[in-house]
Amino acid sequence: MAARLAEEWFAICGGCEVTILDIGEPLLDLLEKVQIVHMPVLMDHKLFGQTGEKTEMEIPEADVGLISGGIRSDEHKRLAQEMRKKCKTLIALGSCACYGGVPALGNLYSTEELLTKVYRESVSTDKNGFPCEEVPILTDRVYAVGEVVKVDMSLPGCPTTPEMVAGALTALLEGRPFPLSTKSVCDECPTIREKKAVSTLKRRLDAVEFTPGAPLNQMRCLMEQGFLCNGPATRSGCGGSEGTPRCIRAYMPCEGCFGPLSEKANPMVDMMGALSSIGLDPKQIPDRAATFNRFSGAGRLRPAPKR
Amino acid sequence: MSETELCDVETSGESGGWEPLILTFCCYWCAYTGADLAGTSRLQYPTNIRILRVQCTGMVHPNLVIEALTKGADGVLMLGCHPGDCHYLEGNLRARSRADAISLMLEDFGLEPERFRLEWVSASEGPRFAQVVTEMVEQVKKLGPSPYRT
Repeated sequence: MAARLAEEWFAICGGCEVTILDIGEPLLDLLEKVQIVHMPVLMDHKLFGQTGEKTEMEIPEADVGLISGGIRSDEHKRLAQEMRKKCKTLIALGSCACYGGVPALGNLYSTEELLTKVYRESVSTDKNGFPCEEVPILTDRVYAVGEVVKVDMSLPGCPTTPEMVAGALTALLEGRPFPLSTKSVCDECPTIREKKAVSTLKRRLDAVEFTPGAPLNQMRCLMEQGFLCNGPATRSGCGGSEGTPRCIRAYMPCEGCFGPLSEKANPMVDMMGALSSIGLDPKQIPDRAATFNRFSGAGRLRPAPKR
Repeated sequence: MSETELCDVETSGESGGWEPLILTFCCYWCAYTGADLAGTSRLQYPTNIRILRVQCTGMVHPNLVIEALTKGADGVLMLGCHPGDCHYLEGNLRARSRADAISLMLEDFGLEPERFRLEWVSASEGPRFAQVVTEMVEQVKKLGPSPYRT
């Protein structure tokens, strides 16, 4: 019998759903083994019954539940709890669900400040009241799904990789565990490291030095070239079976989308410590909290205290 | 030091009011010996500090300072050899460059940068040790309890 699959999306762009589609040919084999019972992005299944006859949000029973996106509103919170209740195994899909992702950069401000900026202070906006009718109440900050309900499996990445989604679902259907890599992006990066300290930072717009057409193991480490690269404090795995991290393949420094190496780690503290140890003036680093915790803001970023 | 350990050594004043708890990293070669001298010289200084002896201030990663402050310490004091005197040549210079990063990051954690202080105390500077500790305790008392204290 096919395993029943439910999917729900919260504060997210939808890229992780595209990743599911991006699995390619293996998706055909996978689809034979699963039956999708709930997936707002794909099918018309209403939460309050097809004619709106129910008073509570309801999701059908499922074996596997996928949740993408962080929790930003009361509705998300309740849906997450409903998903937990109805799904035997719950998977956090993508960095937003795992660590808050890009929407969690909003945690640098209070919800009140965000609403004021958007509905009152923005130059192009007429000063209006905050929307309050028939819209869910915003939570005080963006939460990772794991902060609200127990999550059985996490698939980080922005977006996560097709290989990982297929691998995790297959492992789950066959009853095998699917552990995440415990290495850092640097461990899988093929570039040359000479351990020479950087003294000045380059901007993202500056050109990376490399020989076009030459393999990556002939390129100098981007951090040593002066670009801020989140590799040292980021979990590896984005490269899939090929190994080489995705951004490095495109001659770009790591953005940190696979999140911290462990649940308790704070990439900002790790990176600031590492960079200041090699002699870089920490004041040079622009917007450190958002730069290093760009994808892991849930529980790590907080509004600046009022002085 | 784990969370529970830090709570176990929590101080309370004679009046039962709040007393700051300050974690102090002392380097083995200078500051710890300086602290020892302060003790053997019978110098008076507040009892709010908890000394952790480390081999060198250069081995104290910002992680440790941030963790102490977010798990209940009201302040962190880091004491090492004077620049140029480091037993490991440049460990204290490394600590100094990290100290800037720590002060910056404290704001991101909603803490006052004054809760962290890096000072140089040599093995012969017992009185200086007592003075630095007294100053730090007074400063933290002015700031009040850490918001992370439960």
